[in-house]
Amino acid sequence: MPKRINKALLVYVLFAVILLVVPTFVGGDAYLLNKFSRYLALGILAVALSLSWGYGGILNLGQGVTFGIGAYGIAMYLKLAASASNPGGLPDFMGWNNVSSLPWFWQPFHHLSFALLAGIGIPVLVAIVLGWFMFRARIVGVFVAIITLAMLVVTNLLFIDQQRYTGGFNGMTNLAILKVGPVSLDPYSLTFYYFASGLLIVILLAGFYIVNSKFGLVLRAIKENPDRVRFLGYDVAIYQTVAFAISGAMAAAAGMLYAMVLQFASPTFMGVALSLSVVIWCAVGGRDSLLAAAIGAILVNALQGTLSNQFLDTAQLLLGAVFVLVVLFLPRGLAGISEVFARKAKRSAPAVVAGAQATGRLKPEAPDRKPGKHAEVR
Amino acid sequence: MAVFLQQISAGLSVASILLLIALGLAIIYGTMGVINLAHGDFLMLGAYCTWYLEAHLGFGLLESIPTAFLMVAAAGWLIERTVVQHLYHRPLDTILATWGIGMMLEEGMRLAAGAEPRYVKLPSSVDSSVHLLGMEFSLYRLVIIAITVALLAITWYLFGKTEFGMKVRAVTQNRSVSECYGINTKTVYSLTFAYGAGLAGVAGALVAPIKSVSPDMGTHFVVDAFLVVVVGGVGSLLGTVLSAGILGELNAGIAFILNDTLAKAIVFLAVIVVIRFRPQGLFANRVRG
Amino acid sequence: MMTALLELNNVSVSFYGFKAVQELSLSVKDGELRCLLGANGAGKSTTLDLICGKTKSTGGDIRFKGENITDLPEYRRARLGIGRKFQVPTVFKDLTVTENLEVARSKRCGVWQTLRRSGVRMDARVEEVATVVGLQDRMTAKAGHLSHGETQWLEIAMLLMQDSKLLLMDEPTAGMTMGETAKTSEILNGLKGRHTLIVVEHDMSFVREIAEKITVMHQGALLAEGTIAEVASNEQVRAAYLGSGGFGHA
Repeated sequence: MPKRINKALLVYVLFAVILLVVPTFVGGDAYLLNKFSRYLALGILAVALSLSWGYGGILNLGQGVTFGIGAYGIAMYLKLAASASNPGGLPDFMGWNNVSSLPWFWQPFHHLSFALLAGIGIPVLVAIVLGWFMFRARIVGVFVAIITLAMLVVTNLLFIDQQRYTGGFNGMTNLAILKVGPVSLDPYSLTFYYFASGLLIVILLAGFYIVNSKFGLVLRAIKENPDRVRFLGYDVAIYQTVAFAISGAMAAAAGMLYAMVLQFASPTFMGVALSLSVVIWCAVGGRDSLLAAAIGAILVNALQGTLSNQFLDTAQLLLGAVFVLVVLFLPRGLAGISEVFARKAKRSAPAVVAGAQATGRLKPEAPDRKPGKHAEVR
Repeated sequence: MAVFLQQISAGLSVASILLLIALGLAIIYGTMGVINLAHGDFLMLGAYCTWYLEAHLGFGLLESIPTAFLMVAAAGWLIERTVVQHLYHRPLDTILATWGIGMMLEEGMRLAAGAEPRYVKLPSSVDSSVHLLGMEFSLYRLVIIAITVALLAITWYLFGKTEFGMKVRAVTQNRSVSECYGINTKTVYSLTFAYGAGLAGVAGALVAPIKSVSPDMGTHFVVDAFLVVVVGGVGSLLGTVLSAGILGELNAGIAFILNDTLAKAIVFLAVIVVIRFRPQGLFANRVRG
Repeated sequence: MMTALLELNNVSVSFYGFKAVQELSLSVKDGELRCLLGANGAGKSTTLDLICGKTKSTGGDIRFKGENITDLPEYRRARLGIGRKFQVPTVFKDLTVTENLEVARSKRCGVWQTLRRSGVRMDARVEEVATVVGLQDRMTAKAGHLSHGETQWLEIAMLLMQDSKLLLMDEPTAGMTMGETAKTSEILNGLKGRHTLIVVEHDMSFVREIAEKITVMHQGALLAEGTIAEVASNEQVRAAYLGSGGFGHA
């Protein structure tokens, strides 16, 4: 395997080790473990966005759609589990909304396998439909961002409106703890933290495989110049839709984990604030590196989690400022800072010569160079 | 019939507020292609300005409006000069950067004035209802509509009939050529952005008495407003007006049959379809250079 | 009589009323190397655009391998075997030379296929193509850091990787030295037969090296067709180039 890939894998392994070792410094504080698990879930969400934005050039301002639907998927299962002793097994919010019996589309969520399937499958389906809708029409950049944002608001409003089936504004609270066989995934336990870490690592590795495959390469080419890729024979719309769908699947997994961590699912998961926050974490960490995006999300949230309320507002203000600076000057995020310095160092002889050649001004050493078209390099 | 007219009037009120907010955004989008996600926070600044002037300096609403305009325009000028001017050729980045600025404005206001909602009193002179065509209208809502129309006329005149407006249109069509003719394009852009921001400030001043003033009040409006602008189309003032009217009426109409939440969801879905089939907007009258 | 590989029948395209290409009919045989000449604005690049699908025609039809491709989108035409090198070298600046070549290896372009392949295959084919164009020492460089000439070479190399049946080349030797031009004519001559080429060019000495048949365009329409000698002695061609130093300096 190429050296570059080996080096990258090493960093991933290092990250995994750090993750797995963290609990030992925490001394079994259940509350802290839960907070960490929450950060990891948001890290997965950032990886999802990094795939579609950093690698595919698709700025999804509505990542909350797939995130939220995934969360509600598992929440429905866990709510039913928690409501088993209610009359008719009916979740509490249904009772308050005068729903007499469990609707047919709720029934299958008695089974974990269905909930998992639907929790990933439905968001992926939504992503495929929306993606196909946009990419077949060759909708670009800004308008993709606008459409995904509008879709987010639509989803948010629909979940709030259908409160008889979704719990409305308050969402689904008091979810049961997930039990898989003998294992109880209490979100305040060490087991759960390892589960969350494992999920993040698995998703990172899956992402790593994808971006280093030829599919990932074509995706990066599409990000730079989709038309040129079409002239090579690739059906760009399909590539974009698949990337969008894979990103959606990752976000859905993140959502499920998130719902389990917080033990509730609410329409705020599909709110503008959260979706735009993911964009900020990705941008600040480094959108074109899956790992940098995850770390960015984890660190920002960890920072916010440790600051008391007093300093929270100031921190948010600073975060906004850092974000603006990153957008202006650091397109590769804080992870790309080293690159900026390296580039400044490279501004030496070789590049100057190449630059001069490109503008056709460096003639002397090539006296037989024809006066070809002074073509612009894009 | 009466119900129908009532429906139209309710839609008109919503549309006029939407238009007021979208107007400034449309100017900025139409001239510079910038989607200013901080626009809602400019509105918020105008609202806070009005509250402060009323609570601490005894200003009435009438005096607050031009003051809010000037103060928020100044803020807009500053923001354009420091951040926005670097991003004219990067539309996606302007969305992100302006969102970041909006965040900073919100947090800054939260630190400066606290997060509790503030209230601006509705002047008693306009706190009544009027009987027109057999129906009751809130006088203040009519005032808002009147001011919106006036601002629309002023804007139309400014950009269509004055020398400044001509410069703006020249710069919009071809920036580099305009510079060859001696037009200071940087100043034109800054002034235009400031004007758009100022309009948002006026919107904030007008909206303050009927909604509570809080740091996050802007986010409620900004997505609706920029969807109006995008649907209306680049460079078309008329397009923005029509778009605000259509979307406002659609929202009110559907809300009447179903409810507010679903109405908004359906309108947004319609917007998604429009953007997909006509990303340049329904009434775009110009291909952006 | 061999049926033509590529046929344009009365193809036209106009932009906002300006007739860029007027009822052009063209027929290119399998394995041929056709040169497309004409002054600036004659419609040569537009013709290539029409063939590869960058521009949609407003009249006439285009047939490739007997199939009507007039309504096919550009990626379908590429899959059928049409490859294009652009006038302004268009490579992927953020990707390395190796990566550019790998993306250009597009025979298996389905998602399922690309997901199962590595994105960094430095195999014999990539090395071979890179050596042919002289980029073998620049494999890990980002394409954006290449000089203008190297970028031209890269795009030609990408076309070689794409291995299309029909190669549309827009001014492949622009900005090249005499030595590089000679190498290019070698490459193109080596390609014809197995591949079919349509080359838009201005450099007459280069054209003389490679041309079999020449098509001359003028103001969007066909002016003359034939061998170099036939075309150079054509009255209309001479008239069109009157005052510009003759046909030899087109």
